[in-house]
Amino acid sequence: MSTKGEEPPVTTDRPESAAVGVDEWVARSVDRREYAPGWRGDAQRLWGRVGWWPRLAVAALIGAAVPLLTVNDFQLQVGINALLLALLALGLNISVGWAGLLDLGYVAFYGFGAYSFALLSSNQIGGGVHLSAALSLPIVAVAAACLGLLVGLPSRRLIGDYLAIITLFFGEAFVEFTNNVAPSTLGGPNGIVAIDPIKVLGQQITTNKGYFYLLLILLVATVAALHLLDTSRTGRAWRAVRDDPLAAGLMTIPVNRVKLMAFSFGAVVAALAGTVFAAQQISVFPTDFDTPFLILIYAALILGGAGSIGGAVLGGLLLSVMLDGFLRSPTQSGYLFYGVILLTLIVKLRPWRRLAAVLVGTVAFGFAVHAIAKAISANAVAGGPQSGGWIANAVHDWVVVPANATRAGNIGFVLLLCLVIALVQVKGRWRTILLVPTLYLAACVWEGRLVAVPAITRQLLIGAILIVMMNARPQGLLGSKRVEVV
Amino acid sequence: MTIRIPEEEVSGVKVRTITALIAAGAFIVGCGSSSSSSTTSSATTSAAASSGGASKSCAISIGMEGPLTGPVAVLGQEQLAFAQLAVKDDNAANGTHISLVQGDTQLNPAQATTVTQQFISNPKIVAVVGPAGSQEVLATGPLFGRAGLAFISGSATNTTLTNGKNPTFFRVVSRDDVQGPEDARYVVAHLKPKALMIVDDQEAYSTGLVSSMIPVFKSAGISVDHESVSQKVTDFSSLVAKVTPNTTVVVLPWQVAANGQQFGKNLAEQHKKAVIFGTDGLQSSSFTIPGSYVSAFGPDIKAIPADASIAAAAAQVYPKYGTFGPPVYAATHVIDQAIASVCKSGQTPTRANVLAAIKSTDEPTSILGQPIKFDAHGDLVGAKWFLFKINNQGKYVLVTNT
Amino acid sequence: MHFFVQELVNGLTQGSLYALIALGYSMVYGVLKLLNFAHGDLYMVGAFIGYFVIQWFGGSTALSVPVPLVLLVMFLLAGGGVGALGVAIERFAYRPLRDAPRIAPLITALGVSFLLENTMLLLFGASYRDYNTSAFIPFSTGIHVGPLDIDLARIMVIALSVILMISLTLIVSRTALGKQMRAVASDREAAEMLGINVDYTIAATFFLGSALAGIAGVMSGLVFNEIYNLMGFLAGLKAFTAAVVGGIGSIPGAMLGGMVIGLAESFVTGYISSTYTNLIVFGILIVMMLVRPQGLLGRVPLEKV
Repeated sequence: MSTKGEEPPVTTDRPESAAVGVDEWVARSVDRREYAPGWRGDAQRLWGRVGWWPRLAVAALIGAAVPLLTVNDFQLQVGINALLLALLALGLNISVGWAGLLDLGYVAFYGFGAYSFALLSSNQIGGGVHLSAALSLPIVAVAAACLGLLVGLPSRRLIGDYLAIITLFFGEAFVEFTNNVAPSTLGGPNGIVAIDPIKVLGQQITTNKGYFYLLLILLVATVAALHLLDTSRTGRAWRAVRDDPLAAGLMTIPVNRVKLMAFSFGAVVAALAGTVFAAQQISVFPTDFDTPFLILIYAALILGGAGSIGGAVLGGLLLSVMLDGFLRSPTQSGYLFYGVILLTLIVKLRPWRRLAAVLVGTVAFGFAVHAIAKAISANAVAGGPQSGGWIANAVHDWVVVPANATRAGNIGFVLLLCLVIALVQVKGRWRTILLVPTLYLAACVWEGRLVAVPAITRQLLIGAILIVMMNARPQGLLGSKRVEVV
Repeated sequence: MTIRIPEEEVSGVKVRTITALIAAGAFIVGCGSSSSSSTTSSATTSAAASSGGASKSCAISIGMEGPLTGPVAVLGQEQLAFAQLAVKDDNAANGTHISLVQGDTQLNPAQATTVTQQFISNPKIVAVVGPAGSQEVLATGPLFGRAGLAFISGSATNTTLTNGKNPTFFRVVSRDDVQGPEDARYVVAHLKPKALMIVDDQEAYSTGLVSSMIPVFKSAGISVDHESVSQKVTDFSSLVAKVTPNTTVVVLPWQVAANGQQFGKNLAEQHKKAVIFGTDGLQSSSFTIPGSYVSAFGPDIKAIPADASIAAAAAQVYPKYGTFGPPVYAATHVIDQAIASVCKSGQTPTRANVLAAIKSTDEPTSILGQPIKFDAHGDLVGAKWFLFKINNQGKYVLVTNT
Repeated sequence: MHFFVQELVNGLTQGSLYALIALGYSMVYGVLKLLNFAHGDLYMVGAFIGYFVIQWFGGSTALSVPVPLVLLVMFLLAGGGVGALGVAIERFAYRPLRDAPRIAPLITALGVSFLLENTMLLLFGASYRDYNTSAFIPFSTGIHVGPLDIDLARIMVIALSVILMISLTLIVSRTALGKQMRAVASDREAAEMLGINVDYTIAATFFLGSALAGIAGVMSGLVFNEIYNLMGFLAGLKAFTAAVVGGIGSIPGAMLGGMVIGLAESFVTGYISSTYTNLIVFGILIVMMLVRPQGLLGRVPLEKV
């Protein structure tokens, strides 16, 4: 087992030491990874050699530089939303990613933090309670921890989806409670308004920039704390409970206590995010914390990679920037739409000859169809692209948009969905051939129908992005595929 | 026992590289083009010219905030259709080139804040129509105020919105504290129930009306059964079973007409004789229970001869419109006229001068069948509310308006 | 007394619908361990298909063919159409993720849900559509004993739900397909090794579950009249609750869970207060779950160590 200096090194993959609870061969899978050739591999090796804390510092510096690049308050608001979602995804990661507990009521902790802060910093209770942030934030954190313990109590009896249902009830009950119960104290549907801003070091934070930096500091601190937690005994206990609760219990891990801790920590992170949310919005309402927002947090976490801190943060940032920064603007939605399609083609279609054939074929097909349609009837191309901008002008003579754009667009949309499903079914040469009309139809439907209804298109694109991204990378962007023992 | 080993992670690198490239490119593109505005012209107007002859062609944008998707999309889409119609009509009448920028709030105040920030950061937007809900106005009022951006709502009726805290807020509808008690007094005087049931739909609009109506009922000695259902509920049989024979009136201050229709059907199904007294949202072609009363903040534009062309155009675009569309048409029209008057005087429309022009609006007539003038706090002077009764053919008949 | 029966009937109607949707949920979960959040939206699509069948035959006030024929066509088209849609969704969105961690298909299902809801919004607009059932199934039919009023549509819904549930239970327990479904639900790899065509079985499961949801959608339209593009969201949540409360993976459990929730809602609204209905029902369900953690009819899961 041990090697003496003179003997040649052992070249088999046998572990040199047996660490308890670790399958060495599996753990070494990271070492056996092939690095990409060329500069990419060098970059990967360099990144791997940099320690964790310097990486965090680099990310924090990049984050701090972002407000210097923004030009207006809206971009800062997008940034704030992104940081909030990243924080929430981080907290959810503790329950879902590390401890393996499906918590479907997570958004209620967020709401609890927001409402508690609101009650403690406004005129809502009695004559008005206006605690300073230095007092109210710790109070809210402790209260949230207790609430997390309370919500986690059923986890002693219930597992898996049964626990999920209880947490779902709790989440729904929170919205019902704040909407219908005690309207004079909790504000009812009118919520609580005129919340004090957070005061840090004597300065009141009232601008978006200020809240961006506050959230950035909070995020960095949370990431650091969670990293310490992750590499500690508690983190290992969570992972053990996630993978096999029975075995973990046999190895003297206090399973129930560990589960409660997961809920508690997640609740504290969410509540702190909620307080900053309340202060920045200056008001809270029950509908801010409903189930669709919970779905968003889950999407952020899973897209980024459940179980990984970087994944949660990246998922939250990317999803939020996409939703608010890109998809709320019709021109940028167009860039996203065309850009993603082109990128997918570039990545997926190999060799380059096939890619070139498809692109050229689509363009040619389009002009041909446009000419034929125009020849048949002037009405068939009477409606132009329904938006302004350079893309619309460029494709004006390429796409076919009939005079009755709405009806044709609807039919085209349904046809497009069918074609996409068919694309998935066929293989090989037929797939390449089918790609051409599908791409052209997509462009026509986009220019003819979808740009005219940006709000609906936004939702459609969100759905499409979720499906495509999960199919492309089921473990999330930074998640790792876990070894399954069957 | 088999072990499944994860595939080579090389493709993961590709994904990461691409994601990084997308994110970087997106950021650059985003930064680059966010500083210039992004506008969507309505289907008929051409792309807006942004420099030079702005004051001549009056090419500027206005924003429209509403619940375009989500649970009350039925209201938001109606509002959007009417806003687009107003822009189209006014551009044709005044020779302006105003374009409408949409923002979807899903009736969620946090999203409303984001959309409002987007509008504020867009220098081409000089005024905003919306938001639709009182909660959203509460959440976004300070932002609009700080930016000096005028915003006119066609459906936010909460009384506190015009208490002076929102200097750039206007509305073209009457308030809860006027409509609520007036409706209640009408019910007491004309319908004379001994007992009634009043059901709110757990939205701010509804609870506001309910809290202003119940005292009037109670002081008239009527026994009141206060119930509450969510807007998402579509069956009311359990609630209807609670309607006693003494309960001759059911008050439904709801936003969704189809729910009211279903309530009426449940009443008929269980042979209950109660009469429905609904407000605002129920004034729609989706609600046609004979014998019902509907009190609305918007008129029935089909009954106003001057509005015939608008009604016809609206029927083409959004056949099943109700009470939420016409006020938004009026609000958009006010903004369009303000912009047109600024352009006519030779200036370029800015937020400040459009706000001033809106403040001094003095339209002798409007789609609402009444003149439009705002008081110091932004309320419509002489805002009427309209009471309809539905006759046996399902048609709305005006009973009174004050 | 009649108030009690009235609330009972209301609860049974609502409960049968929840039960039907919960059945589909449970079936798919049993076979794939997948929480299909798009299931509620399949119910919505079924309701719309039924609506358009009525319009095709002339509209609710002027049907050109006898009512039973209209109903039959509605149910068949909705069942078949939504079943096919379910199979397509499975093939397109869920099959690539069959070996992925359990949480990944959750997000895909959410994506499918967004797509379905907003496609309907895009194609048909936001206005609520009205079946206007009382125009072709008048209120005068049905049971009217004294102060008790039960509409024929409701009786039909309850009866049909019971028939469907019994048929489904028979299919799962007596037929070869049912046996294959149970085998795949129990251990997919072993079933595959035994020669069962797993892809086909899963597709059949999706077809049956989605068809049930589609039929439930038509029934919902018949009884509750108004349909809109987001009606599936709440129904899906309630059905998920019903499936879990009854014991997830258990078909009789899903039915029981749906009935329990429907009845609880009805009675709490009727006897206590409609304002706190949801809160109280949640409380009841929490207590039930704590008392019986594996669900009403669920089996305590055996863990192989």
